[in-house]
Amino acid sequence: MSRCVGVSLFVLLSWSALSPNLCAQTAAPNAAGSESKPATWDSIPPVKPFYAGKKSEPAPRRDISGIWDAAELDGGRQPSGALEHPALTAPRGKGVEGGRPDETGIMRPLHFTPFGLEALKANKPSGPSVRQVLAALANDPVDQCDPIGFPRMELYELRTIELVQTASQVIYLNQFYGNYRVIWTDGRELPKDPEPRWNGYSVGKWVDDYTFVIETVGLNPRSWLDNAGRPHSDELRVEERFHRVDRDNLELTVTIYDPKIYAEPWQGLNKFPLHLQPPGFDIAELLCSPIDMAEYNKQVGSAVLPPSDKK
Amino acid sequence: MRSLWTICFVIAGLAVISAPLHAHHGGAAYDTDKSVIVKGTVTDYVWSNPHVFVKVDVKDDKGNTAHWIVEAQNPVSMLQIGWTKNTFKPGDEVEIDAMPAKNGNPVGFLGSSSPTAPRRRIVINGKQFQP
Repeated sequence: MSRCVGVSLFVLLSWSALSPNLCAQTAAPNAAGSESKPATWDSIPPVKPFYAGKKSEPAPRRDISGIWDAAELDGGRQPSGALEHPALTAPRGKGVEGGRPDETGIMRPLHFTPFGLEALKANKPSGPSVRQVLAALANDPVDQCDPIGFPRMELYELRTIELVQTASQVIYLNQFYGNYRVIWTDGRELPKDPEPRWNGYSVGKWVDDYTFVIETVGLNPRSWLDNAGRPHSDELRVEERFHRVDRDNLELTVTIYDPKIYAEPWQGLNKFPLHLQPPGFDIAELLCSPIDMAEYNKQVGSAVLPPSDKK
Repeated sequence: MRSLWTICFVIAGLAVISAPLHAHHGGAAYDTDKSVIVKGTVTDYVWSNPHVFVKVDVKDDKGNTAHWIVEAQNPVSMLQIGWTKNTFKPGDEVEIDAMPAKNGNPVGFLGSSSPTAPRRRIVINGKQFQP
């Protein structure tokens, strides 16, 4: 038996000694030396003060196409949960307490059903919020490169999106972790018993010349709604309203309808501003690689774990 | 006897794969009020998701080398505040003001990449990095 223990120990020690040498990822060295200027493809959008006082033109009719950037960089990233209902007891910067069992005491509470509350507790977020847990105890699927899903792609890390209108669809491309959705505009109804999809099934229509409304159903309940671990069921229906204010400005409102989880509908975003970028704006790629994620966890993530969390 | 060895290897294998798989975290693992100056030579620079990180060998006055890692945010966030895939290279002499890990390990964090957040001091080969 002691020989068995000895072999097991040997395997473990060998593995931990060898593994740092097995995977080396090095940025390609630049022969010209380090540079501090960003890439010249114009991937870097302006920040919010750039837009203050800028004049625009009247909105085109029935047109939301273009490359749209959140610019409200801290607002769009939403690390503490959906912007309209962050899981915080005070605005960010004033101290975040983690480890709470539920969301009692947050600034703008959500009203969970009993079933919804249990589903909330099953999701353990690692981002800065009242229920934040240490990394080793978190179970955010996105940390393992699971699809972000919808509407989390708008209620978390909303950065730059591209909208393309065709005769029968709006095609929606989302930067963070590379998501796309298709919104049908050919007048079809939503499916009655849809297949579960990470990004759902969407139909959209113009309710006036400047407001495009999208309904989405068929959402896979495995995705989280936001970075605070808010859950949803398969009965979730999401309404997005894209309102074209003028040529350069779009406002996005996202409403959550999920009576299995939430006793009443709530807004994740309310007239969230998006700014038109020049047609040559190149959206920087940001994809989730499970191999890179594992390498990061091995080299960095594991190194910062508290001693009691090490297995 | 052979089945005993099989059990041995299974146990060893399970021990290997049950190590924490996911540890991507926010700033919770770091002392955000503290500062450590990581001064040494770059050995590696990883420009990848989820976080860009740079590895620095730090020598103390007794000649011992500590292998430090300093992490930032994802590459797109770093691009927006002037970092590139070429910001560091192996052999660079650096001084990096980072937040130290709470557990005392040689790991540091540079915090938020918001364009409005204050930048922590980084010196590369004698020049302050101010993109």
